[in-house]
Amino acid sequence: MASVSLDHALVLAAILFAIGFAGLLTRRNLIVVLACIEIMLNAGGLAFVAAGARWGQADGQVMFLFVLAMAAAEVAVGLAIAIRFRQSLKSLDVDDADEMKG
Amino acid sequence: MSALLSAGALVAVTAWYWQLLTVLLVLIAVLTIAAGLIWYERRLLSLVQDRYGPNRVGPLGLLQVLADTFKILFKEDWTPPFSDRRVFVVAPSLVLVTALLSFMVVPVAEGWVVIDLNVGLLFILAMSSLAVYSVVLAGWSSHSKYSLIGGLRAAAQMVSYEVFMGLSLIGVVTLAGSFNLSDIVAAQQRSIYYVFPQFIGFVVFLVAGFAETRRIPFDLVEAESELVAGYHTEYSGMKFGLFMVGEYVAITLVSALIVTLFFGGWLGPWLPGVVWFLIKTLLFITLFIIVRGTFPRLRYDQLMALGWKAMLPLSLLNLLITGAIVVAGAG
Amino acid sequence: MTILFTIAAVVAVLSTLMVVTRTNLVHALLYLVVSLFAVAVVFYTLGAPFVAALEVIVYAGAIMMLFLFAVMLLNVGADSPLRVPRLAWVGPGILVAVLLAEVVYGLTRQTQPLAGVEVGPQAVSEALYGPYVLGVELASMLLLAALIGARHVAARARDEEEAAESMERARGLSETAGEAPGQGAVDDPGRLTEEGDA
Repeated sequence: MASVSLDHALVLAAILFAIGFAGLLTRRNLIVVLACIEIMLNAGGLAFVAAGARWGQADGQVMFLFVLAMAAAEVAVGLAIAIRFRQSLKSLDVDDADEMKG
Repeated sequence: MSALLSAGALVAVTAWYWQLLTVLLVLIAVLTIAAGLIWYERRLLSLVQDRYGPNRVGPLGLLQVLADTFKILFKEDWTPPFSDRRVFVVAPSLVLVTALLSFMVVPVAEGWVVIDLNVGLLFILAMSSLAVYSVVLAGWSSHSKYSLIGGLRAAAQMVSYEVFMGLSLIGVVTLAGSFNLSDIVAAQQRSIYYVFPQFIGFVVFLVAGFAETRRIPFDLVEAESELVAGYHTEYSGMKFGLFMVGEYVAITLVSALIVTLFFGGWLGPWLPGVVWFLIKTLLFITLFIIVRGTFPRLRYDQLMALGWKAMLPLSLLNLLITGAIVVAGAG
Repeated sequence: MTILFTIAAVVAVLSTLMVVTRTNLVHALLYLVVSLFAVAVVFYTLGAPFVAALEVIVYAGAIMMLFLFAVMLLNVGADSPLRVPRLAWVGPGILVAVLLAEVVYGLTRQTQPLAGVEVGPQAVSEALYGPYVLGVELASMLLLAALIGARHVAARARDEEEAAESMERARGLSETAGEAPGQGAVDDPGRLTEEGDA
């Protein structure tokens, strides 16, 4: 390979996204599920930055900053829910929350 | 930009041995200063408390450092069987590595810098945010309740104070117009030491520096009267030694940063730049030690209240005023 | 730069694989930190140093620390078995592999070169506070909502727990002393570090 090109970076993003997605489908621990969502968000951000680097513009990086802010918000609420989940159900297995009262 | 990049490449090609020399010089200098600080702190602290301190080994007790090092090296290097071994071993090295890496972007004198990084200040913030892991992982991997509480406190304290540390620096960045530490010093040469226009930023950075290095008003992480020794309760031998050396390197780093950002770095009349840099840095290290001798430890809720109710509004106010002045000056 | 990119990409993929397969929660999170680091290096090679620094400061420094804080606060480990049966990986694995193959096939049909210029902090800030200023406002509102929401959810948990505890204590006082004490928060280090993650 001669030099880094857009498709190399996008393929990397796709691989990371796929790994995160597989983990999300398979793992049952709430915190691991949240971490898998982080992996996927980060892969999406990587795709944005790569697309911005294709044209040498700042827009891709700006979109990554928005993804970052969203990830921070998602983690804050997600972990608060995890703490609540653990206290009411005494477990972190997402399959334990299969009832609509609780 | 491409001209800049090629110029950088040229320097890298022609003077790789000079770069290597700089790396070695900075490494040796920092580690020597950190070792000397062990002696300096004990002597100065005993002066504050009206006693002698270590004065038996060598002239003025200077060889005490060597004696301590040998003692610590020959102690049994014990890893508790109930600990998470791999994390337990990695944690102490992180604190030293991150602090030493931060020194890469600190200019000691004009042109004396390992990497003239454009985002130098952000790099330092990134490294300091990684230093938290050392303490938290040490606390978690020990599997002891005192360590765990110390680690939890460290996580909350250091993540909180990092916010103010970053915010207090934005004022300096706004005035200098660059994240590059050499540029910031050069900008101070053109105008005035930034401690004057950025006094609030300086105060906030100083307080955040104490919190990030876990020094005495903020050392709840290892509060010995309640947590035995906090996060390093289970550590012994050279692993504990790494935590100690890491703390002194971190103190040196924060002092060097204060000097670079607010007190003009290597600038000063008559003497060469390196000497000025060292003198100023040593002054702030002395401040760190005297504070340890004079202040009591805060309570945990006081620590958080100070951070979020005093430091955050102050740094935001500082940012607002600085921005207004810069905009007024530009328009 | 190509070598750096390749190394960082390989490290990112391997450590991300470790994240989704580890059974120790803290180890998984640490591998995620390594993965984020590698992605930061990838950003640097793509000519985006500002975002690379922010990736380490915000993602690795703050978000992952929040994860670790929650894990330590919950004292996870003994309960909630993290082991996943090997067969459970088959179905999702096949689906994701097919999806990935399709995406990679679509992406690699033509090569697009990168612009090869470095876009520094100044350009990003000018874009951020120029055409995207509305997005910044929205992001700040989102963060404020998340802050309040997280505080509300977590604080309600604490209040209810305290109420249950005091009720159990009252019941324990009224009944005979032979009763076993309620299983309230016995081993909860979080009590000592209140409002830590608020």
